[in-house]
Amino acid sequence: MVSRLRTYCAESCLAVLMAGAILAACLLAPTESTMGHAQRIIYVHVPVAWLGLVGFLVMAGSGLAYLSRRNLAWDHWFQAAGELGWLCCGLTLATGSLWAHEAWGTWWEWDPRLTTAFILWAVYSGVLLVRAGIDDPHRRARVGAVLAVLGALDVPLVVMATRWFRGLHPATPEMAPWMRLTLLICVAAFTVFFAWLANRRREQLELDSRWVHLRQDS
Amino acid sequence: MAAFWWIVHKDLVSEFRSRRVWPAMLLLGIVVALVFSLQVELLAEQKQQIVGGLLWLSVFFAGAMVFDRSFAAERDEGCWDGLKLLPVSPGAVFLAKWTVNVLALAALESLLIPLFFVLSDLPLAAHAWQLALIAALASPGLAAVGTLVSGLATGGGKGGNGLVLVVLPLVIPVLLAAAECTRLAVAQQIDEAWWRWLQLLGVFAIVFITAGTLLFEYAIED
Amino acid sequence: MEIAAGETVALRGGNGAGKTTLLRCLAAITHPTRGEVWWFGQPAYGDPALRRHVGMVAHESRLYPHLTLRENLLFAGRMYGIDHPAQRADQLLADVGLAEHAERLPTHVSRGMAQRVAVARALVHEPPILLLDEPFAGLDAEGQAWLTHTLVTMREAGCAICFTTHDEAQVDQLADRTWELRCGRLYELATVLPYDRPRRRELAHAA
Repeated sequence: MVSRLRTYCAESCLAVLMAGAILAACLLAPTESTMGHAQRIIYVHVPVAWLGLVGFLVMAGSGLAYLSRRNLAWDHWFQAAGELGWLCCGLTLATGSLWAHEAWGTWWEWDPRLTTAFILWAVYSGVLLVRAGIDDPHRRARVGAVLAVLGALDVPLVVMATRWFRGLHPATPEMAPWMRLTLLICVAAFTVFFAWLANRRREQLELDSRWVHLRQDS
Repeated sequence: MAAFWWIVHKDLVSEFRSRRVWPAMLLLGIVVALVFSLQVELLAEQKQQIVGGLLWLSVFFAGAMVFDRSFAAERDEGCWDGLKLLPVSPGAVFLAKWTVNVLALAALESLLIPLFFVLSDLPLAAHAWQLALIAALASPGLAAVGTLVSGLATGGGKGGNGLVLVVLPLVIPVLLAAAECTRLAVAQQIDEAWWRWLQLLGVFAIVFITAGTLLFEYAIED
Repeated sequence: MEIAAGETVALRGGNGAGKTTLLRCLAAITHPTRGEVWWFGQPAYGDPALRRHVGMVAHESRLYPHLTLRENLLFAGRMYGIDHPAQRADQLLADVGLAEHAERLPTHVSRGMAQRVAVARALVHEPPILLLDEPFAGLDAEGQAWLTHTLVTMREAGCAICFTTHDEAQVDQLADRTWELRCGRLYELATVLPYDRPRRRELAHAA
């Protein structure tokens, strides 16, 4: 009863935080002079891009933890972070594409960050696809862990390569203080939302796993 | 150490006698190179810009066949289990397989690089040492990723098919760096940028050879 | 479960009971989901050098198809780090009666011949632990006699042996103990009492 109340309170706070972030993005942040309201895409694009990277790091960390402990609980974190990270990467590409259309008049530009996001999304997709084809949970965990560690080692090299390929990447533009504050609020809200979603998904995977065990034993 | 050399020797002898993989790899490389060249009818300056990218893409596609087949011989008659029974560390097995793959890529590149330059009507001799250096640094990194991922696929039946999907995004830094190095070499711009790309190739190779040696034990576990 | 030095255990069970999987776990090729395997007091999945303790004969011959019979034994000998691997390979080929076929490829000899070489390969480093998965399958009478003699010799030399079989006669002849896998559980069958042995052997001879 107490834990249910605690969960309810926490989820309410999260809802308020997300609502606050959306309101801040729509109302608090001033309108940008050149792009107008379209610039507000940045308040979604930056958080999901950040979470796409965080998701990958959590995936790689969970993979390493599984390899050392061989506890499938770590694999549930792996899968949860992987799915959400893949989604965030996809959203990064979509919102980035929208932003590119407004800013540069083209739906796609081989900007270093977008290129890195695309490569990350491709690695995510490959890892999740490969895992989906494996039935044995321990083999699935092991294969995923090895691939995620490889991917994590690859990310810095991809960032370096794409930046050099397109020359110096565009410097982060100066943002008005309210814009910067809004961006920080959005990043914080999305991060908490991501963590909550990942935890819920992990619980679901754990229940699935217990159900499978019970069915096998009976 | 001796075990490493005996595995390399065994693989090379097997390949020499069976001729199962390398001829197919070389043929695929030639076909891909010809298809690329047929499709691209550009001015000379434009060809200089893209020859690097096309060359290294061809190397990747043909090389992917070698990576996949590098463990194919072990899958015959349960030889893979036989190898796992031997008192040799997984890291040594990885390095042996990696060495054979690097040699295969070297053979492929020694054919494809001259072929591309001939088809693009670009001078090869003028850039020979730069191209040799690029190939010498790119091949180890490509082979490291390919060998590790193929080892993962060999460890069990299912899930192997999708692994090729993962290799291409992982090796993008190598392909990009090698392509840029080639473009700059052809344009005779051996400058700071060229050395920086070469360093990236070297770093990639070191990182992934190390990662492969350490992770191979987990990749081949059953 | 324990197998002592100089002891032979027969592992029985129906098709799909898990005999091969159990042997693979004992050989540390496959990781068990639960439990551990120890060889001479050390964990089997640790140092790869410990694998010198084990030889295994499987369903498949595990012979490289593009290396000759002699080269297969030579490769195994070199990998196990034995002294004079060439002489050992020649000696083993002579023991299994295949000296004149030494330069042939495994695909150019019969299944029974390949099986003999597979057994020879498992013995190249004279392991103190020997695991055999239906080793008599595919062998002619001469081959079976040779293998029986070899296993008896190795047992007397202190080798711990575990083999799977469907053949009662082989169990009687070779095994000190019998395990049986049934419905995912391992049973140790009652030890054959001395006074039973003469009666079984007698039945086998009458047949």
